[in-house]
Amino acid sequence: MRPTRVLAFAFVALLAIVFLFPLYVALLMSLKTAQQTFQSFYALPPGLNLSNFVSAWQTSHYPTAIVNSLIVTAISVALIVFASALAGYAIARRNKPFYNLIFVLFLSGMMVPFQVTMLPLYKLGKSLHLINTHWGITLVYGGMGVQMGVLFYTGFVKGISREIEEAARIDGCSTPGIFARIVLPLLKPVTATVLVLNALYIWNDFLLPLLYLQDKQYRTIPLQQYFFFGQYSSDLNLAFAYAVMGMIPIVAFFLFMQRFIIKGIAAGAVKG
Amino acid sequence: MAQWKRNLRGEMWYLLFLLPGVLLFVMAVLVPLVTGARYSFTDWDGISPKLHYTGWENYANAFRDSDVWDALGNTFRYAIVVTIIVNILSLFLALLLDNYLKFRNGFRTIFFLPGVISTVLSGFIWSYNYSQGFPNLLRHFGLDVTSPLGNPDYAMLGLVIIAVWQGVGSPMIIYIAGLQGVPGELIESARMDGAGALRIFRSVKLPLLAPSVTINLLLVLTGSLKVFDLVYVTTNGGPGFATEVIATSIYKTSFANYKAGYGMALSMIFFLILVIVTIVQVAVFRRREVEM
Repeated sequence: MRPTRVLAFAFVALLAIVFLFPLYVALLMSLKTAQQTFQSFYALPPGLNLSNFVSAWQTSHYPTAIVNSLIVTAISVALIVFASALAGYAIARRNKPFYNLIFVLFLSGMMVPFQVTMLPLYKLGKSLHLINTHWGITLVYGGMGVQMGVLFYTGFVKGISREIEEAARIDGCSTPGIFARIVLPLLKPVTATVLVLNALYIWNDFLLPLLYLQDKQYRTIPLQQYFFFGQYSSDLNLAFAYAVMGMIPIVAFFLFMQRFIIKGIAAGAVKG
Repeated sequence: MAQWKRNLRGEMWYLLFLLPGVLLFVMAVLVPLVTGARYSFTDWDGISPKLHYTGWENYANAFRDSDVWDALGNTFRYAIVVTIIVNILSLFLALLLDNYLKFRNGFRTIFFLPGVISTVLSGFIWSYNYSQGFPNLLRHFGLDVTSPLGNPDYAMLGLVIIAVWQGVGSPMIIYIAGLQGVPGELIESARMDGAGALRIFRSVKLPLLAPSVTINLLLVLTGSLKVFDLVYVTTNGGPGFATEVIATSIYKTSFANYKAGYGMALSMIFFLILVIVTIVQVAVFRRREVEM
């Protein structure tokens, strides 16, 4: 290896250690007792002791929070995929002023920051009894995610040749039939993109759950963590065990779906 | 007539296809935007059913409110610094990890990893590292440090570091994708003409990367201008007013101080600023891009 390469490798490796360090400290904390932390901050624990995790599991409503996060994320993402695939297909195939207007409307909506719609959404949620329900928040996520979703699907459908669809139409296939039997199977790559990007965003979102899911019973993981950290700020080892538990699902998701996430981000940049 | 009916039936399906998306969008974005704009001209407190129209008073007050200007100043300082550091670092990493180093896929995963953790978590982890972890480590080297988050002069810097830690992943991926679009022949011929690595970067790669630069600057800048979670969970605007940004200030005005009308006026101003930033940035950078 040439010296510049060695230098570059050393630099990147060092930076990688710096990037991992905070996570290492979190993991270390979660495996030690307060006593052990006090005696030596960076020493590894003498043995594998999962007692922090056990008590965090018992005190934190972790199972409830994870079920809430799963329900909210899954339904929201399904809604986004359903609504934006249909709308994106219609816009791409009917290249008419009305459809293009709707498209521009979706695009301009992406510029609206959440701070603008936050308070009216809260009020709307209250008057329609959407607060502290799973489906209320998924409708809002649906409306927020559908804008980017339509952008992705419209672009993707425009790249698919219409010939098969036209042949099917001549054979007497209806529009919904064409969509379900011919187009839908072709949409898999863009669906993967829309799915992973929205899932990451919704799983980690904090502000909307803070407004919509205040009730203990409905809190998602980030929100539940926020309250837990506030409550157990004195028992840091316990709090860190909870932090690590909260990290596990999303990190696992990332590691398994990495290929799609990376492809999705790169595709999103080209679209913009 | 029959023809017209058939056309309508054909069109009907497409209109039906639009419906779910449009309904969701109208409910979650359009209606709140319009009602929000209406509230911004009232003295509504956010709870009571009564409100009075006050014309442009909220907007006039916002211009005179020094807290608003301070929050805007903080927001832009934070956003510009984060944008610059994130883009330089992620471009640098992308260049090294494009096709150069061993274990590059492993490294990519590591640099992306902090970005998938929720801000609540990373805020908590970093607050602790700042107050206990780093001081304990640096004490071995004879350095005595305290958490930057508790010091008004350094709190913003402390937040910037967390944001960079979480933020380099996506731009790095976008830069790597951009670099993979640079034709190998171009680099090869530049090398044959005797250009060094630095020269190749400046004269070949960077001009062709311009679209990636545009999109990354735009995404990181607008994303950082909207920062809320990070500030809310770590410093909540403090110490004093040192890290109060526009998003946390809108949240507090609307929900904690019961000045919903005023909060809505602030958020409409914020919206306008974001639109202007986006348009200006796209216009400036699009002109610098080269056609392949």
